[in-house]
Amino acid sequence: MKISINQMFRNYNKWCFGLLSMALTVFTFNSTAQGDALFKAKCASCHNPHKDNTGPKLFQVRAKWADGGAKEGSIYTWVNNWQNAAATDPYAKAVSAWSPTAMTAFPELSVEQINSILDWVDEQPLPGAAGPADDGGLTTEVVGETEETSNTWMWVLLGAIFFTVIAAIGGVRRQLNNATALAEGKDVNDGASYLDEFKSWAYYNKGKVGVSAMLIVLTLAVWGLQGLGNIGVVSGYQPSQPIEFPHSVHSGINGIDCKYCHNSVDQGKSAGLPTVNVCMNCHKQIKGNTPDQIAKISKIYDAAGFNPEGAGSYTGKTKPIIWNKVHALPDHVYFPHSQHVNIGGIDCKQCHGDMTQQKETAKIQPIEELNKIEGNVKLTRPTLTMGWCIECHGEKEISTGPIDTKGGGYYAEIHKRLLNNDRKLYDEYLKDGKVTVKELGGWECAKCHY
Amino acid sequence: MELTKKYWKGVDELKETPEFLQNRDEEFPKGTTVDEFLNEDGVAESSPARRDFLKFLGFSVAAATVAACEAPVVKAIPYVNKPENVTPGIATWYASTYYDGNSYASILVKTREGRPIFIKGNKEQGFTKGNTNAQIIASVLGLYDSSRLTSPTKNGKVTNWTAVDGEIKKAIADVKAKGGKVTLVSNSIISPSTYNAIKALGAAVGGTEENGNFEHIQYDAQSYAGIRKANMESFGEAFIPDYDFSKAKTIVSVGADFMSGWLMSTQYTNQYGSRRNPDGEWMNKHFQFESNMSITGSNADNRAMIKPSEQANVLAYMLKAMGAPVSGVSTELSKPATKIADLAIKALRESKAASLVVAGSNNAAVQILANKLNMKLGAYATTININDKVNMFQSEDDKMNKFVNKVIGGKGPDMILFCGVNPAYSLPNGDKFAMALSKIKTTISFSAHPDETASKCTYICPDHHALEAWNDFSPKASHYSIAQPTIRPIGNTAAAQESMMVWGGTAKRGGKDSKEYYNVITSNWKQFGFDVQTEVASWDEYWGMAVHNSVSPDTIMPATVPIFNEGALSGLASKLPKKGKWEVALYQKAGIGVGDQANNPWLQELPDPISKVTWDNYITMNPTDMGNDYQLTFDQETGLSLATVKMGAKSMTLPVYPSPGQALGTVGVALGYGRGANGEKIGTAAFQTKEYGGAVEDENGNPKPIGANAFAFVGMENGTMSYNGEVSINKEEGSYLIAATQIHHTVMARNSIVKETTLGTYKSKDQSAYNKKWTLQKLDEHGNHVEAPMAEFDLWDAHPVEKIGHRWAMTVDLNGCIGCGACLIACQSENNVPVVGKDEVRRGREMHWLRIDRYFASDIEAAVGSRKDHDLSKISFMDAAEDTAENPTVVHMPMMCHHCNHAPCETVCPVAATTHSNEGLNQMTYNRCIGTRYCANNCPYKVRRFNWFNYPSYKKFTEINPAQDDLGRMVLNPDVTVRTRGVMEKCSFCVQRIQEGKLVAKEAERPVMDGDVTTACSDACPTNAIIVGDWNDLKSIVRTSSDDKRAYQALEEVGIKPNIWYKTKVRNHENKELAGLQQEHKVEAHGGHGEAHGEDHGKKAHH
Repeated sequence: MKISINQMFRNYNKWCFGLLSMALTVFTFNSTAQGDALFKAKCASCHNPHKDNTGPKLFQVRAKWADGGAKEGSIYTWVNNWQNAAATDPYAKAVSAWSPTAMTAFPELSVEQINSILDWVDEQPLPGAAGPADDGGLTTEVVGETEETSNTWMWVLLGAIFFTVIAAIGGVRRQLNNATALAEGKDVNDGASYLDEFKSWAYYNKGKVGVSAMLIVLTLAVWGLQGLGNIGVVSGYQPSQPIEFPHSVHSGINGIDCKYCHNSVDQGKSAGLPTVNVCMNCHKQIKGNTPDQIAKISKIYDAAGFNPEGAGSYTGKTKPIIWNKVHALPDHVYFPHSQHVNIGGIDCKQCHGDMTQQKETAKIQPIEELNKIEGNVKLTRPTLTMGWCIECHGEKEISTGPIDTKGGGYYAEIHKRLLNNDRKLYDEYLKDGKVTVKELGGWECAKCHY
Repeated sequence: MELTKKYWKGVDELKETPEFLQNRDEEFPKGTTVDEFLNEDGVAESSPARRDFLKFLGFSVAAATVAACEAPVVKAIPYVNKPENVTPGIATWYASTYYDGNSYASILVKTREGRPIFIKGNKEQGFTKGNTNAQIIASVLGLYDSSRLTSPTKNGKVTNWTAVDGEIKKAIADVKAKGGKVTLVSNSIISPSTYNAIKALGAAVGGTEENGNFEHIQYDAQSYAGIRKANMESFGEAFIPDYDFSKAKTIVSVGADFMSGWLMSTQYTNQYGSRRNPDGEWMNKHFQFESNMSITGSNADNRAMIKPSEQANVLAYMLKAMGAPVSGVSTELSKPATKIADLAIKALRESKAASLVVAGSNNAAVQILANKLNMKLGAYATTININDKVNMFQSEDDKMNKFVNKVIGGKGPDMILFCGVNPAYSLPNGDKFAMALSKIKTTISFSAHPDETASKCTYICPDHHALEAWNDFSPKASHYSIAQPTIRPIGNTAAAQESMMVWGGTAKRGGKDSKEYYNVITSNWKQFGFDVQTEVASWDEYWGMAVHNSVSPDTIMPATVPIFNEGALSGLASKLPKKGKWEVALYQKAGIGVGDQANNPWLQELPDPISKVTWDNYITMNPTDMGNDYQLTFDQETGLSLATVKMGAKSMTLPVYPSPGQALGTVGVALGYGRGANGEKIGTAAFQTKEYGGAVEDENGNPKPIGANAFAFVGMENGTMSYNGEVSINKEEGSYLIAATQIHHTVMARNSIVKETTLGTYKSKDQSAYNKKWTLQKLDEHGNHVEAPMAEFDLWDAHPVEKIGHRWAMTVDLNGCIGCGACLIACQSENNVPVVGKDEVRRGREMHWLRIDRYFASDIEAAVGSRKDHDLSKISFMDAAEDTAENPTVVHMPMMCHHCNHAPCETVCPVAATTHSNEGLNQMTYNRCIGTRYCANNCPYKVRRFNWFNYPSYKKFTEINPAQDDLGRMVLNPDVTVRTRGVMEKCSFCVQRIQEGKLVAKEAERPVMDGDVTTACSDACPTNAIIVGDWNDLKSIVRTSSDDKRAYQALEEVGIKPNIWYKTKVRNHENKELAGLQQEHKVEAHGGHGEAHGEDHGKKAHH
């Protein structure tokens, strides 16, 4: 079922040549950061600078429109709402015939923002200029990834050797004792077994034995209790999936924004698994180049009821994809994504880690990795445990310093009440220069369990 | 010394019987030791030794540990094509309309991931103004009823629509060819578009006005034909007028339970409630003359007990006093009733046209008297609108009766269709009718279940559930509304209208996503709605708005005064109900109604608002009438006496329930029970269950129904159904165990829990007269004793919830609460409260998070201590107590977790499973709870519930708990944990809604406002008696409400600082005893809490 990471990468190198090179240029040129970010968030799912995708290629598109006789500024109207542009500009009307798929309206983009996107696009070099050079780099990285070997077995082996040596020495001592006794004409102490000897030895050294036994028992107890705390803590859970989904390709190489697929992350409790129609937005065009890729992508077509032959058509025979859930919180835990994303302003990677590197769907990264992310509170407990949640709630601030109580916001009102009614408590909260989630009740049971 | 009257929960408590005293003193019985427990079950011999026990323990710990290491693989299945208006995890609300033939309401349906899970009233649209009732809210469970038919059947065998359609079409053609007759029996149809379908069917049969080959009979289980008939005779037109209770300063109801069941109670309750505010412009005055203690009667300011046959006497007595005597009709009344009638006359004279007289009888003669009285008062055109005619309740009793007799006589039509009716159950001669159905060539039912009628039909063509179907309604002339589907049909069912059209040849079968009937509705709305208006230009916009609101704008129909035909009054006397030594009054319970939802376990377990009995039907009788012959008290192990009620040849044996307020010489029996008496498969919850699960079976091996079918006692009187009559009663041997909820707790003389006063005292005296605040004595800085309010005494440090952050609070207006039980069902639906069944309720283990306490009080004993018979022997003592229990007044009091800021439950929990939040919530952490139940012991309100069993899996509850079946489980609210065995649970203040409401405010970057946070109970309350909000928001409604002079906290003297306030009940009547007592109390300085301040005194002295 699973293919090795190396193999996977070789495949990718073959078939996403254009995309890869585009993505690599992303890392090379960072001059128009805003345009870069906006392109990834809004455009990358359908457009490519140098290649026709769901939408047409965007390289030098402004010049193209001007040459084609488009009205001044109608390209901006087009981006805001293509229908308005098509209604007023004959060139735009001609463009609207490009594809049966209508372009999404982006009324929120200003002219400057659109310009920054297009500036960034125009800066992208033609494919072929940088691609192959970096290929080796990636391969090296993959080769460099060696499996961590456990040294538990070494300890077991060493222990066994020591035990054998001790037993052998003990045996020799016994033989010698017996021999001495025989020589001196005494009774050969055949009856005394190892156990009896151990008992008498322990009896004579009862102080030391007692203390060390107590230490051993205590150590075992502590170790055992700690172990109990780790029950159910599964990090790196990585169930096999019906369709391999490399985040590294989608959000890494292609730079698709997380929210494009997990689009309920700012609306509801769950971020949402992308529905098959979302996959089809891109994969209607991207059909794969090698038989292997075609086979995998055809699974999406099966689910969507899509016949890729020719221009492609929907048969209507859909079947849902049954994924294996990676993050399964217990039923009594209510974790709202929207609250954390909208109110807390937390970026996806702050909890999930850098998904652009993840090659196979897996649970969020271990705490050590998350602590490396800039802006993250440094935490110690394993991820996705309650300890992890409340540790963050205890550290993370809702506001730094006294909040502006003049505004009408939710927290402004809460701070106002604190300030007016219990100044002492408020000052206590602000001792560390911030009001934490915990201080406003973020550690209370019924905030997450009901 | 108490501030108000003495309140008692039941006759046993009032009379302080030895059993009651024993139970009270041993509320927490001595525990059984493990040895005793094991011995009892004979387990002792086989019980494992200590070592074995340790082995098992060790093994299970190890096994559990190992098992826990393996994380189970959970599947996640996204949509292929996500519907536009569904976002996983977010509820979508749809406006719709509820109509079941009995109740009508504009509703909002909450759906999660496409599943409807909660129904509440639509406060913004429609004349019901957000008003619903328990049955409407509980109807969402009926959608997931696994006993519903999922495909059409022929002679009990599953078949398919194509076959059924072919055969029925052929049958219709045959009937038409030979000129035969077809009859459609339906409940009152108020859907304009359904008439199109019926017309199509009629045309296919070849029925015309002349030949009468197609007959449509409308028949309701509970008929109101008497009103139509009376109006025909009084005003020359058969109609039901629109009553407006919000305009009536004086309301006189003669046997009409207008807040529960009678006519359009969903409209009246809200109107009535809007005039029960003592601070409002005016407060209405309500007189009730009735036989059974009804919900309406329990809320009346003055209530008189009369026999059903005396209803005419009351009206005639008032007419006589108003100067319009009716010849031939007796005006004789009992002395107490005369007293109340005189008061009513006085009030009616004062309010004149702003009065409303309603009569509950279905006897046209009684209704004519009520019409005359309303005419005399001038109520027409003020409180009664004859132009806005009610389209509901069109029962044609006479026509139905003739038809039934024809069928029984073998002269029936060639084909009968039943739509929305179950006459085999609801007719007095239903059994004969059911047998006679086999003589009809083709019988078709649209019922969702193979019920009493449908199981005798050739074909059952199951209709959609109301939440699966499009429909339109016109409940009254001025109003049009739409019901829209909130889920794709679960089974392979079809709209009854579509079936009729298919057989009529005007439509094709469309399958699950059929648009056939929808197209009829839209074309009707286009033709009669869109085309005749000018405000909206586009049809799409018009229709979109209509569906969004679920109603179209009302047309205004001004009221006019009709001309009363005096001739209607002549010869009335002979048409009135006959007097009898014993008379029965049949009534509808708030939960069961006429029995359509008898298989709904929520409704079966809803305690009757008055008797608090669940899962049963019984005879209500006044304790005075019961005397010493019947068992007056009952508990877990003591049942009630049985008696047989006999009317003519029909009889039924039921337990006799002591019901204070039941008119002497009358008994009451509820309709709607005894469903599925011949083992019809209408759902397992409609039948009695055994102690360890499974149905109780009768001698034929059929499951035994709950209660008996009281429709057998329905009679015909002058062409209309009558719901009362003369009976005889014989006590039977044996007793019957009853499961009632309110015998489980005792008041323990904490009478301050209810505060009540009269409007006179409220208006003229200051707060200390009717709502005196508790005070304790303390030493001031000079060492003098001074009075200080309770708030100053703290055993603990205060929680920082008083001023900072939020403090969620609730006020419950006892003046608004009518005890209907809608809040209880809404809570059950919202919070996944399990159903436990009769046996468990009997043991006091009901799980309802919210209960409605019903307290009786009588004017005769105005206060504790004013009774002088404590030392009398039991027998003479009972005699003395009889008057008190005869006709008491009633207070309904919703009781749920008070989220005390100094909660006694929190301090005794050994594992900190119940803790206090900084928003004032008493939180329950199920995962921590180890089930010691200390908290329940320590709760002064007794609102904590313990999960004795695994209700979602234990076999005892398989029949009754919907969560045990894959379909039934769909109704569970995914935002609330389903609790497991061994943990405590209780009202959470709908914390899931609080969290949601806060998030809404946070995302909108504004403070929480009124309306962001509501609880299920406050959503459901028809009179808006329950208000919820942030108490720390000084401008919030809840804060204003709790600062009101009527507001008090139950058991405030215990010092637990609850977050719930009640508002003193103000009755609009004269009550000299109570007024006197409250006056006297006011003069008295601070007497009466000697104990409390004594203790406090001692404590402070140590400082």
